[in-house]
Amino acid sequence: MPMTIDWWTLGLQTINVLILIWILARFLFRPVTKIIADRQAAAHAALDEAQQVRDAARAARDEANAEAAEISRTRAALLEKAQDEATQAREKLLATVRIEAERARADTRAELEQMRGTAKTALAEDAAALAADIAARLMGRLPDTARVDGFVDGLAKAVADLPEATRTGIGTGDPVRLRAARALTDDEQLRLEALLIDALGHPINLEIETDAALIAGLELDAPHAIIRNHFRADLDRIIAEVTSHA
Amino acid sequence: MDSPLSLDTLFHIGPVPITAPVLVSWAIIIALGLFSILSTRHLSLLPGKTQTVLELFVSTIDAQVRDTVNRDPAPYRPLIGTIFLFVLIANCSALVPGIEPPTAHLETDAALALVVFAATIAYGVSGRGLKGYLATFAEPSWVMIPLNLVEQITRTFSLVVRLFGNVMSGVFVVGIVLSLAGLFVPIPLMALDLLTGAVQAYIFAVLATVFIGAAAGEAPGETPPSQEEKSP
Repeated sequence: MPMTIDWWTLGLQTINVLILIWILARFLFRPVTKIIADRQAAAHAALDEAQQVRDAARAARDEANAEAAEISRTRAALLEKAQDEATQAREKLLATVRIEAERARADTRAELEQMRGTAKTALAEDAAALAADIAARLMGRLPDTARVDGFVDGLAKAVADLPEATRTGIGTGDPVRLRAARALTDDEQLRLEALLIDALGHPINLEIETDAALIAGLELDAPHAIIRNHFRADLDRIIAEVTSHA
Repeated sequence: MDSPLSLDTLFHIGPVPITAPVLVSWAIIIALGLFSILSTRHLSLLPGKTQTVLELFVSTIDAQVRDTVNRDPAPYRPLIGTIFLFVLIANCSALVPGIEPPTAHLETDAALALVVFAATIAYGVSGRGLKGYLATFAEPSWVMIPLNLVEQITRTFSLVVRLFGNVMSGVFVVGIVLSLAGLFVPIPLMALDLLTGAVQAYIFAVLATVFIGAAAGEAPGETPPSQEEKSP
């Protein structure tokens, strides 16, 4: 059987194939590839979004870590600051307590000193009273003249030992007050006035008072000088020295 | 049964005689066109069964072309996909009673091979430039120019003969067995023809891809794939 080619069929089939290629390209391959590309784009978009979310989550985690580190640093700083403040407060409190203790100790010491002084004073007063009492009792056993006579010369000598300016001011104006352990007799007053005139170098007008507290002796009370020559002054001086040395 | 080597004119459109292969091809074109339009009307990102099959088909074509050509498959997808679909459906059209596959006739196979031949030249010129494409005929030496020219013709002719021989023989054998044995005896042979038809469609498409890929050359910056022409 001879084999022939139908050229019309060949040409029509070629055209048919080309038409079919166009039809399928237009209505099959293009839409399907487009939807595949769209799905891939959507998948990529979803992946990108997921990546962004993951990046955001990582950033948030890093930020949280940074905040935690910052909080830790702040906490450490606050703790250190609190410790410093506590140390300072403790030192300040200790200093205050030390000062208070020192002050209380000083107050106590002062109070003790005051009590000791008071006791010493009381003791001196008691001693003075006892000495005065002893002296008074002893003087009571001596003749009554001994309470004045033995002290007249001493008073005159003490006046004579005063500076010239002081001696000049004594007795030039008002009467000079003279205290005596007992009332002077006329002789004793005359003798005393004579000795004072000798010591002062000018007349003197005496205003004589009696003061038993002197125990024995005289005391001249001029405006600018007081000359004590009696047991009471001696006893007071002795007590004062004894107290100061105690 | 008529001889598969001869064509009977069914009717004329003007001076043009319309034969059975042309008519069946028109039916296939209309069926594929309607199916394409209807199945791609409501494509969505969440595909249904039909869309999944279509996407799998397109993805497989793309993968096959990409592996063979080592280029972006988009420019080659319509041609290779259409050839595969058309040859497959044309081979399977023998299942319809009274229908002979268009590929069982030399003109249809020759038309397909002619399209592949033209596409090979077009993609070769497009990929390498006219001078570069012509230079491929002198590879590896100018001595090979006659052989390379003859190869262009012979391999195209081999496409025609391979497809025509396989499909026509199947139809021929089924016809002979049917005339000798009875109605249901050729059924196993028809099933075998289905397998043969699918294999031939795949081979035709793969060979077309190989020819086009070899003509287009290597893509810039990509390593050439190791490909060899496969024959059944």
